[in-house]
Amino acid sequence: MMLQAARVLGPVDPYLIPALDGVAYGLLLFVAASGLVFCFGVANILNLAHGLLYAIGAYLAAALLDGGWGSLLLALGVGTLAAAGAGGLLAGLLAPVARRDHLTQALLTFGVALAGGALLVTAFGPDSLPVRIPAALDRSVEVAGHRYAAYRLVFIGVAALIAVLLWLAVAKTRAGMLVRAAVDDADMVACLGVNPARIRLGVLGAAGALAGAAGVLGAPIIGPAPTTGDTVLLLSLVVVVLGGLGSVQGTLLAALAVGEIQSLGVALAPTAAPFLLFAAMALVLAVRARGLPGRFLRLRPGGST
Amino acid sequence: MPFPTGTSRRRALTGVLLALGLTVASSACNSGNDTGGTPGTIKIGLLASLSGTYEAVGTEIRDGFELYLRMHDGKLGGHKVDLIVADEGNGAQTAVPAATKLIKQDRVQALTGIVGGGSVAGVAPVLAEAKIPFVGSNGNPGLKDVSRSWFTSYLSDETGAAIAEYVRDNVKGEVFAIGPNYQGGYDQLRGFTDTFKEVGGKLANPDGKTLWTPFPQTTNFLPYFAQIKASGAEAVYTFYAGSAAVDFVKQYAQSEIKDLPLYAAGFLTEGGVLNAQGEAARNIYSVLNYSPDLDNAENRSFVAAWKENHDGSPTTYAMASYDAAAVLDKAIGAAGDNPTAETINKAIAGLGQIDSPRGTWQFSKETHSPVQKWYLRQVRQDGRALSNTVVGDLATVGG
Repeated sequence: MMLQAARVLGPVDPYLIPALDGVAYGLLLFVAASGLVFCFGVANILNLAHGLLYAIGAYLAAALLDGGWGSLLLALGVGTLAAAGAGGLLAGLLAPVARRDHLTQALLTFGVALAGGALLVTAFGPDSLPVRIPAALDRSVEVAGHRYAAYRLVFIGVAALIAVLLWLAVAKTRAGMLVRAAVDDADMVACLGVNPARIRLGVLGAAGALAGAAGVLGAPIIGPAPTTGDTVLLLSLVVVVLGGLGSVQGTLLAALAVGEIQSLGVALAPTAAPFLLFAAMALVLAVRARGLPGRFLRLRPGGST
Repeated sequence: MPFPTGTSRRRALTGVLLALGLTVASSACNSGNDTGGTPGTIKIGLLASLSGTYEAVGTEIRDGFELYLRMHDGKLGGHKVDLIVADEGNGAQTAVPAATKLIKQDRVQALTGIVGGGSVAGVAPVLAEAKIPFVGSNGNPGLKDVSRSWFTSYLSDETGAAIAEYVRDNVKGEVFAIGPNYQGGYDQLRGFTDTFKEVGGKLANPDGKTLWTPFPQTTNFLPYFAQIKASGAEAVYTFYAGSAAVDFVKQYAQSEIKDLPLYAAGFLTEGGVLNAQGEAARNIYSVLNYSPDLDNAENRSFVAAWKENHDGSPTTYAMASYDAAAVLDKAIGAAGDNPTAETINKAIAGLGQIDSPRGTWQFSKETHSPVQKWYLRQVRQDGRALSNTVVGDLATVGG
């Protein structure tokens, strides 16, 4: 039956696995980048230390995982909490420059990212670290006549669940209502008596938690190494540019697009791989150039210009 | 947590040593002004990446040289050595000022180390102006003028050239070549594909050209694996290092080409990356000029001394730096009572055969790089850990 499937699919067949993997990679980017989108869209903070939060999760996964299911849960808990804590710390550091422009925040958070990255290397060493996932997941399975990593298949399910929970949280809860309100009109939310500092703390903490969870769950895919933070930050920024701010659906769509470009796109046009992603980004910017800046200005504190 | 305590202690030690080196250097400078130099002491500068992307390689290079000094009472060629260590950073931009400081301010009589080929190329003019010998232990960009430059490592295209014939003999069918798109990757893969085609091998790549992956942004190799599968290749040859090597090997082991034999330049499974790859690296064949299980007297004492101070086995990086110290040891010894930069350089040229943990080798008269034997290694179980085990000799390449 598998052979038949391969024959029917014919020329499409070699691209099945890249297409599937694009979904896995895209969902990982979604979980990693959604925190950055929240920071930017809700608290108006350009957090360049976001990759560091992912790296904290990934390094903790390498340190805590021992191949058992219990350690996976433990790592997920500890990684999420630690990155959330780091996010909270960032909120504290950002408090004095809260009313300043993005450049100030970018400099501050970039400095934190450099220092934090160096601290991680000091603590864990300059080598890439092994990540020991449960044996049941550490193998490959048959998908439509091809081999594919079992962990990534399961990851697609878990990440999809996170995406649904995130959407429900934003759409149905009071906190989510505040988030949406803050995206639409931050000044009005402040007028309603919601402390902006508290929103900042909450948003950065939640963003940290998401990035930390992504780091733990994504460690077998984008693993802990000195370059991890930069890799994740770069891809997350691309997702932000492509997906716009403040909507879970937009971020999800953009993340999946980046995943497919990085996977299916590369399989289709391997010689174009070095610039495929940024060509796509330039294209989207060219088409949507008017949409994105408009949104930007509306979100600035004071709403000047 | 596999590393933290050892590493942080080592780093603290590095700091102390650096500070110590600087203090010693400045005091030596002062006494130099007053008395015309401490008789019998010779100053060597070591430049290596102690921070940034290549920190893992840089620390191996520093440790390899320091180990040789420790095993020889801190002396090279009978002279007490002031080793001044400086940080090369990520490339020429940081390497050049650091080298300039070593040469102009510390007035070292010879320079060693340097991880990156780009850093070597950047530092070359400074060295040429100062007219001091350079015994490089890793990066080797193939300089035009090597009159004062010597390399204990290899030329980047020799790795692949050494294994090409073996791959042709042992793979029934076509071989797919894939590697990263930076200069080191181009050289490594070219060495393999050129020689492989020369001896009658056939590449499975669609247009007969190596498939290049963007470096360093590629973390996901699955789309490339799909292409290899579609090409009908019977084996794969590759070169990656650092975290790209970890990603490549781990994803390969669970991909649809996991049953294709993987041949690689030894850096794919060398040093810390092998630990991160774990089971996924088992059975990979690689070619390198060194393996810690080589059976010769030099290597036995080198590995034993290394293991007294380190957790794992030494890498080819540490070995090449250990050899750089050995080269300087012999050359300084042969350069007379008052060795100068000029006489040391002359002495290196006259060295001949050098006994090394990798086996005996000598400098090529033309490229000033080693003429040396390359080994076929396979990742196999060694006690509790996986390790690169020598399974045979390959070609002798160089010059």
